[in-house]
Amino acid sequence: MAVKMDPIHQFELKPLVSFGHIGNQEIAFTQSALYMFAAVGIIALITIVATAQRSVVPGRMQSVAEVFYEFIGSTLRQSAGHGSERFMPLIFSLFMFVLVLNMFGMIPYAFAVTSHIIVTFALALLVITTVIVYGFMAHGTKFLKVFVPSGVPGWLMPMIVAIEIVSFVSRPISLAVRLFANVLAGHIALKIFAGFVPALLAAGAWGAISPLPLALSVAVTALEFLVAGLQAYVFATLASIYLSDALHPGH
Amino acid sequence: MSGNDAGDENGDGRQKSDEDLSARLKRLENRIEAKRPATPYRSAPGAGAPKGASSLGLAMRLSTEFIAGVLAGGILGWLCDQFLGTKPWGLIVLLMLGFATGVYNVMRVSGSLSRPAVKSAVEKHQDRERS
Repeated sequence: MAVKMDPIHQFELKPLVSFGHIGNQEIAFTQSALYMFAAVGIIALITIVATAQRSVVPGRMQSVAEVFYEFIGSTLRQSAGHGSERFMPLIFSLFMFVLVLNMFGMIPYAFAVTSHIIVTFALALLVITTVIVYGFMAHGTKFLKVFVPSGVPGWLMPMIVAIEIVSFVSRPISLAVRLFANVLAGHIALKIFAGFVPALLAAGAWGAISPLPLALSVAVTALEFLVAGLQAYVFATLASIYLSDALHPGH
Repeated sequence: MSGNDAGDENGDGRQKSDEDLSARLKRLENRIEAKRPATPYRSAPGAGAPKGASSLGLAMRLSTEFIAGVLAGGILGWLCDQFLGTKPWGLIVLLMLGFATGVYNVMRVSGSLSRPAVKSAVEKHQDRERS
């Protein structure tokens, strides 16, 4: 068993350019930041450059951009209702960013940025901050009706309000944890199953069953592609459901 | 289409054809708008995924929703203890409240709670998946 198996190693941050230290913490431009810049570059390429011509009959790249745009537009309309158009730039950017980063993570030897909870939590905080700021801006103190569901008997009210407040706090956590856990668990599972193949081959006669984990890792790869797309979609959908609270509180 | 009016040099006639054209464009627009929501977006990821994918997504959502409820309660309780000096009661009470929130969240997402806004959102989500 000379084969080294370290499924966590792939998530290590590697500083590319160091800017010095704050306390004991190194401040550096890591490969994670590089991937994020690359993702923004690709999104800009798809959405800005490809649609620059604005042809009535879209070319290949333009129709890709239009499919994504229409898809997110319909998702937002259906989950946040009227008046939600103003959040289209936010939701579309979030969806594309998460989708492209997830897909980058599926390239062999590439780094999965969304497997770090700090990244997904920052995105979730962005959504919740928008909900709170816009909710108070548009509705003032009426926004607090979010915590008071209608049609609840009076004696149950304090309990339900307390639960609603904790539930509101749990939203960014669930947004962040869902995306991060899916990507992290998928990549670890992939690494472990793939690691079984050389381990079995190195173990003499056991090598006969090594095609099993190989087939399994192929299947897990397919599942991971599905999860990568699905989680970006779920992130965008939930973000727009939360934004609908800011648009129409007191439901 | 505009061949009928093309030879018409009369200014009045041209205005008429312009009005006609804009009326026709408006009708077409209305018809397209009426069709739009019914169109399923099959070509995009997620929507194009097989049915098992959406139930997988729902399962993932349910589990994280519950965990997030408990975590939020725990974090709030811990913060409460830190800053208000209510050790250990903040953590105890809010952790239990967090547990209740987790169950409440799960019930809400799975649609067994008749809260109109959330329920309709969940139903819309499921309808879209079905279509």
